[in-house]
Amino acid sequence: MNVIEINQLTKYYGKQRGIENVSFSVEEGEIFGFIGPNGAGKSTTIRALLSLIHPTSGSATIFGKDCIKYGNEIRRDIGYLPSEVFYYEHMKVREVLNYSASFYDNVDTSRIQSLAEVMDLDLNKRIDDLSYGNKKKVGIIQGLLHEPRLIILDEPTGGLDPLMQQKFFELIRMENQKGATVLFSSHILSEVQKLCARVAIIKDGSIVRVENIRDMQKHNYKKFTLDYRGVIDVHHFNLEGITNLTVDENTLHFLFKGDINRMVERLQGQNLMNLLVEEPSLEEIFMHYYQKEEQP
Amino acid sequence: MNVFKKEMKANIKSLIIWCCAQVFIIFAGMMKYQGFADSQVDVNALFAAFPEEIMVVFGIGSVDITKVAGFYSVFFLYFMLLAAVHATMFGAVVVSKEERDHCADFVYTKPVRRFQVITPKLLAGVINILIFNMVTFAASVFFIAQHNDGDGLIDKVSLTMLALFFLQLFFLALGALFGSILKNTKRATAAASGLVMGFFVLSVAVDLYDKLAFLKIFTPFKYFEGANLMINDQLSFNSAAILLTVSLVFFVLTFVAFNRRDLST
Repeated sequence: MNVIEINQLTKYYGKQRGIENVSFSVEEGEIFGFIGPNGAGKSTTIRALLSLIHPTSGSATIFGKDCIKYGNEIRRDIGYLPSEVFYYEHMKVREVLNYSASFYDNVDTSRIQSLAEVMDLDLNKRIDDLSYGNKKKVGIIQGLLHEPRLIILDEPTGGLDPLMQQKFFELIRMENQKGATVLFSSHILSEVQKLCARVAIIKDGSIVRVENIRDMQKHNYKKFTLDYRGVIDVHHFNLEGITNLTVDENTLHFLFKGDINRMVERLQGQNLMNLLVEEPSLEEIFMHYYQKEEQP
Repeated sequence: MNVFKKEMKANIKSLIIWCCAQVFIIFAGMMKYQGFADSQVDVNALFAAFPEEIMVVFGIGSVDITKVAGFYSVFFLYFMLLAAVHATMFGAVVVSKEERDHCADFVYTKPVRRFQVITPKLLAGVINILIFNMVTFAASVFFIAQHNDGDGLIDKVSLTMLALFFLQLFFLALGALFGSILKNTKRATAAASGLVMGFFVLSVAVDLYDKLAFLKIFTPFKYFEGANLMINDQLSFNSAAILLTVSLVFFVLTFVAFNRRDLST
């Protein structure tokens, strides 16, 4: 079953583009990555899912129900962590969390205490005395407090130190194992790589591709590094499937996607000192997506 | 209930300050009355020598201000102004403050519809203006009694306060509408206070130039006259009905506009 289904979702702010024809779906129980650079439309998509903004056209359903029409029912089972966390400044952490809990039925408020211990957060501090990272922790707790079936995280790790990020990922994994579906938006690939099985890649308001992370890494791309003895004939590699071609003195780097035999043929007769074929990092694949569109 | 409580708590300090200011104005004003009464000077004759424009701006019309009821009726203009600013600001801020404080993402991603957030907020607004109204009432009766041999003119003051409440409700609705339509709190409060100012200027203009009398209907400050309420014991039914209707329309428009709104982070 699909927990989230987005269908041709479009949002314009006046004439300014937010997102255009965004479509993808998130299956129950998965941790789904939503990745793209800042300003690509990740937050716009998420805010439309939460009916904070109204789409210009297209639709989206969560738990099979229309996001706008049944927003209040749907949100009962959603935990949301916004990218920029701000809370009522004059309130104490505990008050904000209790206030948050008061919007849900049957919240186990003892979770406030236990989650605060895991995240190492002082409940008696005032919100305006907290550092950005600590405010983020408040956000994480209020997002997970009511044990939501769907967790939506918008750039969740900014401001958290590496140790906290680790704890946070563990927490998300735990909720996921208990059955929660997770939509994880980020512009940092390594963290998506750590958590997600599938990702949607968004750029300039449109989905570039939805892919299995493993497919992306293993099956499609190889990263070639060629050390030459002499002069590099770059034109020799004017071959379909090659991207991110860079020359660094006597070394040639590129990504290759396609029939590996054609590459082996092409490599014959090259005067090489060394040849390295690796799995590319997600970062490099990602770069490739973005560069592809920018080429004339 | 949670939103209502939170909103009441958030506004308690400002409400206390508004009420203290109001009590002080009534106290100080009635002290002046004592000054007039004791001075033995023919104040009416003195004021008659003032240019009409000045008298109009200060809200001193043709009433006999040597009588306590007449003197107090002049206050009505100040009450209206203060109450208008208080209620308009409350309305404009209360519906837009989450966006101003960047916590719209917090409350509007909860499992509630937007009207379920706005309704308790506006209800808190009604309670706030009502408390302001009651404090004005109590202070008025108390200080009038001190200068009127113990008679607080409860009936007359009650009628005045009822008129004031209709105005407060109107301005609360007006503020809320601005808050839900305009882009942010700053613009909403600026536009709303500008309009209050405009209403006041118009009410003065109407008093000064008979030719402009037909514009009376466009300024709520001319809907009730202090002298009518305090001396003739009359509250214009038409005015009350128009204000209530317009307030209701504004509240409905607030809900509609807020529901369509794209909330900013």
